[in-house]
Amino acid sequence: MLLVQQLISGLMIGGIYVMVAVAFTLTIGMLNFLNFTIPALFMLAGMVAWGLTTVGIHWAIALLGGVATATIASLIVERFTYRYMRVRYGDATEHALPLVSSLGFLIVFEHLVLIVLGSEIQRFPNPFSSADFYIGGLIIGIPQLASLVLALLIVWGLSTMLKRSRVGRALRSIAENPDASTLMGVNVNFIVPVVFIITGLMAGIAGMLFTLNYAAVNAYMGDEVAAKAIAGMVIGGLGNIWGAIAGGLIVGVTEVLAIHFFGADIVKIPIWGLLLVLLIIRPSGLFGHTAIGKGKF
Amino acid sequence: MLLEVEALNVRYGRNHAVRDVSLSVAEGEIVTVLGANGAGKSSLLKAIQGTVSSSSKVARFSGNDLLSLSSHKRVSSGLVLVPEGRQIFVSMTVHENLLMGAYCRRDTEVAADIEGVYGRFPNLAQRRDLPASVLSGGEQQMLAISRALLARPTLMMLDEPSLGLSPILVNQLFDLITSLNREGLSILLVEQNTHKALQTAARGYVLELGRVVVEGTPEQLRSGEQLEAAYLGAG
Ligand SMILES: Nc1ncnc2c1ncn2[C@@H]1O[C@H](COP(=O)(O)OP(=O)(O)O)[C@@H](O)[C@H]1O
Ligand SMILES: [Mg+2]
Repeated sequence: MLLVQQLISGLMIGGIYVMVAVAFTLTIGMLNFLNFTIPALFMLAGMVAWGLTTVGIHWAIALLGGVATATIASLIVERFTYRYMRVRYGDATEHALPLVSSLGFLIVFEHLVLIVLGSEIQRFPNPFSSADFYIGGLIIGIPQLASLVLALLIVWGLSTMLKRSRVGRALRSIAENPDASTLMGVNVNFIVPVVFIITGLMAGIAGMLFTLNYAAVNAYMGDEVAAKAIAGMVIGGLGNIWGAIAGGLIVGVTEVLAIHFFGADIVKIPIWGLLLVLLIIRPSGLFGHTAIGKGKF
Repeated sequence: MLLEVEALNVRYGRNHAVRDVSLSVAEGEIVTVLGANGAGKSSLLKAIQGTVSSSSKVARFSGNDLLSLSSHKRVSSGLVLVPEGRQIFVSMTVHENLLMGAYCRRDTEVAADIEGVYGRFPNLAQRRDLPASVLSGGEQQMLAISRALLARPTLMMLDEPSLGLSPILVNQLFDLITSLNREGLSILLVEQNTHKALQTAARGYVLELGRVVVEGTPEQLRSGEQLEAAYLGAG
């Protein structure tokens, strides 16, 4: 029974990893770079939301403010890393520049937050403190359940958008062959920011769900989650949305089971151990193709 | 003139790939551009489409100054390029490729036009929901041309469409080009298959090392020595 309970918690925390992993995998699949600002966007959503509650703003509005901040921050990153590099140095996707400059933005955002909001762990008001329900002796927390459902719904919506809509097709065509995409009349400079908006929204909403789940925030909350999400993404296969979903959930469950069996201190060992073993037996990940990056949606 | 360029130049750093090329296509005309590998044919088409940067004295299409239109807007103004190597989207289905061709359109007749394509090419209709990667070379070329047609162009530029096709398929391809032209489409055709291109086109230009060395009717091009020289000289 306890084990089932753990599995359920693992899936629920996995929902957050799924969203962050999908945000990573989208930038890799579309633009061929690992966007290091994602942990900062995740953290910005939580910290800005907390900051807003301290000046008396309702928690729900504060959370939306946090997500909006993450999205705007993501667009700023697009403007000053990806687009700038592209104009300046030609095809930015072929360079390590966006990767390095996004790492720079991660540090800048984290330090800005440290200066303005401090480094302590802060309590976020918990609107659902007693909102658990029981099924046959299993405790299910409503915020946790809601975040899993919301995460899966958003990812499902994103994947449907990519598959069926006009913008979705344009995004996939750019991922496969940006030159041919231009020949179809796609304005690549208009579509690329769409990827960053989606990234900001995914990371921001994940940060919001994390804040609600744990009722606590701090300036480094994004780093650990992002590391686990990257592990999940690699386990699932780079640049593949379904891989990111499976990988995120696997990491969530592995984490909770590892805590259950071995204690919280060594939780990183099973996750990264699983990753290494999988990379040895299946280098492309569970759902990945052999080549990294192009055209996998 | 539907398309008119004067003194067009393309430079890749120090490599001056297209030099002072002047060229025109009248409404309803098939015009061909011939030349050896590396003569600058693809660069010329890409410059007209706007996917590589160029400078020119005059560049007009359909009464618009091309310089004022970014590449993606040239597509919606009726100028399409079927690129060298087809460049179909292999991660998408045949049907999605056709939808991408109609990306620039907002009207309600896209579905009917796609059905028209399927009527013309039953092979594509049969494979509509399969990934485009399963198509044969000939079918991929049909898809690339159909995809370009879905933008409802007035001028279609084709970059070496016969490359890699069997002789039978090459004949079918040139028949298709002729019949599209009869339906009113103007065509600017880059080819290595000099013989077929001169059979199909009304006028032609021969490029050598980025310059137009001779232009005129197929008879004029065939009778002169420059055509042969252009191939031998660079090849
Ligand atoms: N993207 C590019 N960057 C640098 N040089 C290029 C590029 N594309 C073509 N070239 C050069 O420009 C010249 C003309 O090439 P191209 O237009 O492809 O000729 P063609 O289509 O007639 O074979 C060649 O010398 C080629 O090496
Ligand atoms: Mg060429």
